[in-house]
Amino acid sequence: MKILSLIIALPLAGALAIGITRNVNLAKKLALVIAAIELLATLIVVQQFNASDSTFQFVEKQTWIPSLNIEYLVGVDGISVLFLPMTALLILIAIIASWHGAQPLSRLHFALLLVLEAATIGVFSALDLILFFLFWELTLPPIFFLIGLWGIGPKRRSAASKYTLFMLFGGVPLLLAIIILAINHATQTNGTLPHDLTFSFQTLLDTPLSDNLQSIVFLLLLMGFAVKAPLVPFHTWLPTVAMEGPTQMTALLTGLKLGVYGILRFAMPLAPSAAIEYSWILGIFGAITLIYGGLIALQQTNLRRLLAYASVSHVGLVIIGIASLNMPGIQGAIFQLFNFTLIASSLMLLAGFIQQRLGSTEILHMGGLAGVMPRLTCFYFLFALAGMGIPGTSGFPAELLLILGALLAHPSLGITALAGAVLSAAYMLSFTRYAFLGPVIQNNVRQSQDLRTRELALLCVPALLIISFGFFPNSVLNINQKTVEVWLARLLDQPALEGDDLASN
Amino acid sequence: MDALVILIPLLPLLAAAAIGGGHLFGILQGEARESVTGDIATFAITLSCLMALTLLGADLLDKNQGAFSVGQWLGSDTLNIRLNFITTGFNVRLAALFSLLLAIISRFSINYLHRETGFYRFFFILSLFAAAMLLLVLSGNAVGTFVGWEIAGLCSYLLIAYSYHRPVATQNATRVFITNRVGDAGFIVGIGLSYAWLDTVNWNALNAATGQLTIGEATGISLCFAIAAFAKSAQLPFTPWLARAMEGPTPSSAAFYGAVMVHSGVYLVCLLEPIFSQSPFAMAVLGLVGFVTAAYSFIVGQTQTDIKSSLTFATSAQLGLMFLECGLGFWQLASWHLCAHAIVRCGLILTAPSLMQHIKANADSQRRLPVWLYIASLQHFWLDQIIDWALVKPIRGLAHDLSYFDDHIIDRMMGVPTPALGTLSSLAQMEEEVIGAKLNNDTDEFARGSGLAGKLTEWAAALVHWFEDRFVLRGIGKDAIHFGRQLGHAANKFEQIILRPRYLVLFVCITFLVAF
Repeated sequence: MKILSLIIALPLAGALAIGITRNVNLAKKLALVIAAIELLATLIVVQQFNASDSTFQFVEKQTWIPSLNIEYLVGVDGISVLFLPMTALLILIAIIASWHGAQPLSRLHFALLLVLEAATIGVFSALDLILFFLFWELTLPPIFFLIGLWGIGPKRRSAASKYTLFMLFGGVPLLLAIIILAINHATQTNGTLPHDLTFSFQTLLDTPLSDNLQSIVFLLLLMGFAVKAPLVPFHTWLPTVAMEGPTQMTALLTGLKLGVYGILRFAMPLAPSAAIEYSWILGIFGAITLIYGGLIALQQTNLRRLLAYASVSHVGLVIIGIASLNMPGIQGAIFQLFNFTLIASSLMLLAGFIQQRLGSTEILHMGGLAGVMPRLTCFYFLFALAGMGIPGTSGFPAELLLILGALLAHPSLGITALAGAVLSAAYMLSFTRYAFLGPVIQNNVRQSQDLRTRELALLCVPALLIISFGFFPNSVLNINQKTVEVWLARLLDQPALEGDDLASN
Repeated sequence: MDALVILIPLLPLLAAAAIGGGHLFGILQGEARESVTGDIATFAITLSCLMALTLLGADLLDKNQGAFSVGQWLGSDTLNIRLNFITTGFNVRLAALFSLLLAIISRFSINYLHRETGFYRFFFILSLFAAAMLLLVLSGNAVGTFVGWEIAGLCSYLLIAYSYHRPVATQNATRVFITNRVGDAGFIVGIGLSYAWLDTVNWNALNAATGQLTIGEATGISLCFAIAAFAKSAQLPFTPWLARAMEGPTPSSAAFYGAVMVHSGVYLVCLLEPIFSQSPFAMAVLGLVGFVTAAYSFIVGQTQTDIKSSLTFATSAQLGLMFLECGLGFWQLASWHLCAHAIVRCGLILTAPSLMQHIKANADSQRRLPVWLYIASLQHFWLDQIIDWALVKPIRGLAHDLSYFDDHIIDRMMGVPTPALGTLSSLAQMEEEVIGAKLNNDTDEFARGSGLAGKLTEWAAALVHWFEDRFVLRGIGKDAIHFGRQLGHAANKFEQIILRPRYLVLFVCITFLVAF
C-alpha cells in the first residue's frame, strides 16, 4: 500500500488542478475537498499504524538518483505519525478560516497552501536525508509568497524575505551535516566516493561516527534546526512574520514545529554520543529560550506578537524535555509538541478573527471583548489555559510529564521549567486582563459580532481534541511509547559511552 | 460501596459540562432557563452530597475497602498515574462535609444571583469547583489532588473576575491566580521528589514508605508540599491574596474563601502527617508560619471596617492556628478545627450581606492598637507593596529591558534590516500586477547587496573603509578620541544597567541553578 506517496502527491495534484481551473470559487472548493481527503488519508495512516512496532512503517523505497545513491524513501514511526494528521488538520482549518475573509484570495493562494501541505508532510515522512532536505527547502517558496502577497502588515514583503533568508541560512549547516554524514559512511565502509555515498536515514544510524565528527554534525544540525524551531537568538523572524503575515499562515507557522521535530528525529539519533555530551547545552538553550520568550511576552501589547513570543517560549519548554533524556521527558516533549501545534495555531486563528473584526490586535484597540464576544472569549480562555497546562486540557499531562522528566534529570532545568509555567500564566493573564476583560473602551468593539457558526464549528475541533487528550492522555502516549523506548535506548546504551563510564570509574 | 466514589466528583463535572456547553451554544440563555440551570447544579451537587454521606455511612460501618482504582490515566516508563480514590477516614468525612456545604451554597445562590448577567457562568464555575474540590479530597494520588487543586484555583480566578468589566476585579483575579501558581510549582516539585525518591505518587504508598526516607529527603518533600499548602490557605507570605479575592459574589466567597477551598492547604498537610512527622524542621516551619500568620491576621483584622474583609482576616487567623496545631503535632485537633471552622465560616459569610440590614449603626471602630501598629495594620504590613517591589517590579523591568534588547540588538544582529528588502522587486511587481496598478518603480533595489552574505560583505567593506579612513589616513585625531569617549559612555551605561539589583539577583539565581 503506497499510502504515504499518495498523501504527498495528492495535494500537489490538487495544486495543479487548481492551476487549470479558471474560477476562484471552484478552486476554493477543490482545495477544501483535497484537504479533507488528505486529512482522512492521514487518519487512516494513524489508524493502521501498529503502535507495538518500533520500526518505520509504511516504508516505500524507490531509486531516485542512482549515481549518488539518493533514494525516494519515506516511512513513519511513533514519533512522526501523529504529525501527519496534525498538518492536514491545520491546512484544512487554514482553508476554512480564510473562506469568507475580507482579503481577495486567488487561485494561487490555495495552490500554494496545498504545495505547503505536501512539502510539510514530506518533511515528516522523509527517511532519505536528501529527500528530507528537498522537502525542507520546498516549504520555503509557498511560505514566501503566502506572506509576501497576502500579508496584513505594511512590511509584509520585508517579512517574507526575512523569513526566507533566515531559513536559507539555516539550511546551509543542515546540508553540510548531511554531506559529512554521507561521506563518513563511504569512508567507514572503505568505498569509493560517489558510489558508496548513502543518504538513507536507517543506514546512517548504523554507521559508526567518530567523536569529533559527531560533535560537528550534532552542532551543525542543531544550528540548522534552531533557526526553524526557533531558539533564541534565531527567533526574530517569528514576531515579524506574526505581525506582517496573514493570520491563517501565521497559525500554520507557529503550529508546525518542524525544527524541534528535526532535532528529535535527526540531530540526536545521528550523533548519539554527542547528543548525550551536549544535552546540557541543549537544556540551557531551552531554558534561556523559555524564560527569555516568556519575559518578552510579558511586555507585548499586541496579541499576535505576544503569541509569537509565547510560541518561542513553548519551544524552549519542549527542548528542556528533550534534553532530560528520560522516558517522561521525551514523551512529555512529543506530547507537548503535538499540543502546542493545536494551541498556538488555534490562538493565532482567534487573533485572526479579532483582526478581521477590529482591524487590529493591539491592546489599545481591544478592551472588554468578553462582554461583546463571550463565545470568542470562552474559546480564547480554553486555549490559553491549555497553554498554561491547566488540568482538564491536554497541556496538563504533557507539562506534568515534561517537568517530572526534567526534575529527575536536571533539577535546575525542572525548576526553570516551573518558573516558565508561572511566567506563562503571568503573560497570558495580564494580557487577557486588559484585552478581554475590563470595560469596553473603543466604539467599534461595541459593534463587533461574536463568533459566527462557521467559526464556532471550526474552533470546536481543536477544543474537543484538547479536552479529550487532557482526559485520556494515554491515547497519544501509547502511540509513541515503543518508538521512544527504542529511541532512548539507542542514545543511552552506546558501547562507547559505557566504556567511558568504566574508564571514569 | 467503594465504586460510588467515582460519581461524587463526576456528577458536578457533568453538570458543569451541561451548563457550560448549553450556554456556549445558546441553549441555556435568558431568564426563562435560569431555574433549569440552578436546578441542574444544585441537583448534581446534592446528589453527590448524598453519595458522600452514603460513603461516610459505609465507612462508619466498616464496609469500605479503603481504596478504589478506576484505571490508568497516564503511564510512562515507571511512572504510573492511576485514577484512584481513597474511600475511608478523614477524606470521606471531609468530602461529605464539603459537598453538604456546597449544596447549601448552591441552593442559596439561586435566589442570590437571580437576574444577574453572569448567572449561567456562576453556576458553571460553581459546579466545576464542586467537582474539583471533591476530587481534591477524595483522590488517592498526588496528581489527582493536584488536578483538583489547580482547577479550584482556576475557578477562584474566574469568580474573582466575575464582574469582569471592573478593572479592580480583573487585576485582583490575575494577581491571585499568579500567586497561587507559585504554590502550585511547589506542589509539582513535591510530586517530582516523591516520584524520584519513593517511585510512587499514591498517597497511601507515600505515607507507608516514609520509613525509607532520610530526614533530609522528608524535609525536602514536606517543605515543597508546605509551600503549596501555605499558598492555598493564605499563610504568610501569601496572605494578601485572600483580601483581594473577596471581589467575587458573596456565595462564591463563602464557598472558596470561607468554607471550602482555603482549607485544602490544611487538608494537604494533615494528609501527609507521616512525612511531616519525619522532619522536625518542616514541623517547626509549619508551626512558625501558622503562628506568625495568626498574629498578623489578628492585628490587621483589628482595623478592618467592612464585614467581608474582617471575615477574611478572621479566616486566615484560624487557618494559621490550624497550621500551628499541625506544627505542634496535634493532628486530630487540626482536622476537627478544620471541619468546625468550615461550617462556622460558611454561615458567617452567607449571612454577611443581610447583616448590614440587621445592624442599624456600625459600632465605633475603636482604636485599641498603638499608633505604629495601627498604621501597619491599616496597610496590611505593606506586604503587597513589598512583594511588588521585590518581585513584580524587577520582573517587569527585566521584561522591559529584554524586550528592548530583542528589538534593538538581537533583531538587528540577526535580521535583515535594510529597507531595500522591503521593496523586493519581484513581489512588489507581482502584487501590482494583481491589483492592476502600474506604479512603475524604476529603481530596482535588487542590484544592491542583499542577502546575508551580500550584506556581510558590504558591512565588512564599510568597516574596513572606516578603519582605514579614521585611523590609517587621518591618524589618531579628534575623531578617535571622540569615538573612544563614546565607547566609554556606552561601557559605563552597560555597567550601570548590569549593577541594578534585578540583574544582580538574576545572576545569583542563575548561579544557584547552575550549581544545583
